[in-house]
Amino acid sequence: MAEINKKELEHLADLARLELNPKEEEKFLKDLSGILNYFQELNEVNTDNVPPMNGGTESKNIFREDGDSVSPSFRDPKNIIEAFPEKHSRHLKVPSVFE
Amino acid sequence: MHLHDLTIKKFHEGLVGKQFSAAEITKAYFDRIAEKDLEINAYLTVAKDNAFLEAEKADIAVAKGEEVGWLAGVPLAIKDNILIEGLPATSGSKILENYKAAYDATVIAKLKSAKAVFLGKTNLDEFAMGSSTENSGFKKTKNPHDLERVPGGSSGGSAAAVAGHMALGALGSDTGGSVRQPASFCGVVGLKPTYGAVSRFGVAAMASSLDQIGPLARTVEDAAILFKGIAGQDRFDATSVAAEYGEELLSPSLEKIKTMTIGLPEEYFISGLDPAVAKAMDEVITTLTSLGVKFKKISLPNTKHALSCYYIIMPAEVSSNLARFDGIRYGHVSAVNRREHTLAALYKKNRSEGFGAEAKRRIILGTFVLSSGYYDAYYAKAQKVRTLIKQDFTNAFRDVDVILTPVSPTPAFKFGEKTDDPLAMYLSDIFTIPVNLAGVPAISIPAKVETGKLPIGFQLIGKHWREADMLAVGQYYEKAIGRTV
Repeated sequence: MAEINKKELEHLADLARLELNPKEEEKFLKDLSGILNYFQELNEVNTDNVPPMNGGTESKNIFREDGDSVSPSFRDPKNIIEAFPEKHSRHLKVPSVFE
Repeated sequence: MHLHDLTIKKFHEGLVGKQFSAAEITKAYFDRIAEKDLEINAYLTVAKDNAFLEAEKADIAVAKGEEVGWLAGVPLAIKDNILIEGLPATSGSKILENYKAAYDATVIAKLKSAKAVFLGKTNLDEFAMGSSTENSGFKKTKNPHDLERVPGGSSGGSAAAVAGHMALGALGSDTGGSVRQPASFCGVVGLKPTYGAVSRFGVAAMASSLDQIGPLARTVEDAAILFKGIAGQDRFDATSVAAEYGEELLSPSLEKIKTMTIGLPEEYFISGLDPAVAKAMDEVITTLTSLGVKFKKISLPNTKHALSCYYIIMPAEVSSNLARFDGIRYGHVSAVNRREHTLAALYKKNRSEGFGAEAKRRIILGTFVLSSGYYDAYYAKAQKVRTLIKQDFTNAFRDVDVILTPVSPTPAFKFGEKTDDPLAMYLSDIFTIPVNLAGVPAISIPAKVETGKLPIGFQLIGKHWREADMLAVGQYYEKAIGRTV
């Protein structure tokens, strides 16, 4: 188990598309090292041959028909267009993707 | 009819008996909110226009002599991470401050077809991340029993609305205790259904393998009525299951309860319990024993690992679920000039300005435990420990029908008491978290405490899909102590 240093924290923030100010960085380094330290108690658990539980249910492969996937109130895109930050009538404006 | 005396059941009888209309009671709740919520701050949005239209629908149905269900006209409060079309749905976050829901959550669609009334949207910890509602991006909700104390969280607004007689019932969401712990702190009933019993379509996802929507209510029977109204399979949530929930939810048999055995796990009755909580648990055990229920000491040996397991799995899922909030399609948009920044830089601006500290902390922690090099040590390990925690419950339920525990180690704590130390805050959910990891149902019910003392809840945990067992025990407990509202 490891500690998070400042450089690593900045890398994680970058991956998560967050900017942390110096005060946040200082607080998070302290909080995260406390939390990761607490996690060390998991080392004492023997998990050899224990299968992982990788969801809240044991259900597998739930299928539905194509075309039947849209909620009734979702079929009209009016509300979704309404929520868009920048638009011209039904055209949506997004920031440039290419630099 | 005074609001303080109402339950969903009494409301229904009064409505169909034409003692009052849904519109009259709805108005009484808005009057109460206008007066009381100035100090409590349970609501983020009140929805008067919509609510009166909904009440009118119920009143017209009754006037026409149509048969209406238990929930017709019932004024409800809805946690603000659950979507009601056209109303704000902030999830307690600045990043969604101006967002209006584009569609109805499945639970809302179900309640609408039952002709329920939605009074408004309630405060919560940002994206349901917290145990005190202090992490809300907007305001602090106060505990109606003591204004210097937190209502619990994250469904603190919903619990305070019901406790403060500002709604007849409410919906919350429970990922690690977010319905049960505030119910305990505010002295109301809170139910976390079996994972898969209720559709999560239209709830802002926090940790998808743990989240469930659940009701808060004044009595166990009311919680059962609300649960029955929202349960069921939904094609828009692939984890939802077509479970059979029959009349036994509402009409339990005392004869059956007398044959039940309730387990008392030694890991939950620890020396660190607040003396008031320990005393309340003793009283509950004495009352249930007098009803003929048998008790048995059991062990859930991996309980002590649940907190670590949860605080690895939950942030991992949070980091993934909260990635969608980028300010491009909806939500907070930074005032910086779009042309002067790359797309990645814009994401960072929108997200960093929009998310609060706890959301950022969990996103970072989740990103860390999922990153290559640490994945096996943390995330993969936690998934295996989760299997062991679930097995503990499976083993225990071979010998007992229901498990009884405290909901939280303490009654409601004071504002600011735990805000600087995330671990101290996380520990207040130590008795509720294992339930979500295992996917089993559980309910928080107020224990009988002396007048003037802070409320304390006890938790009943059931087998998968056996909400009926704990609801039955809970309903008989309330009868035994003579609680009617």
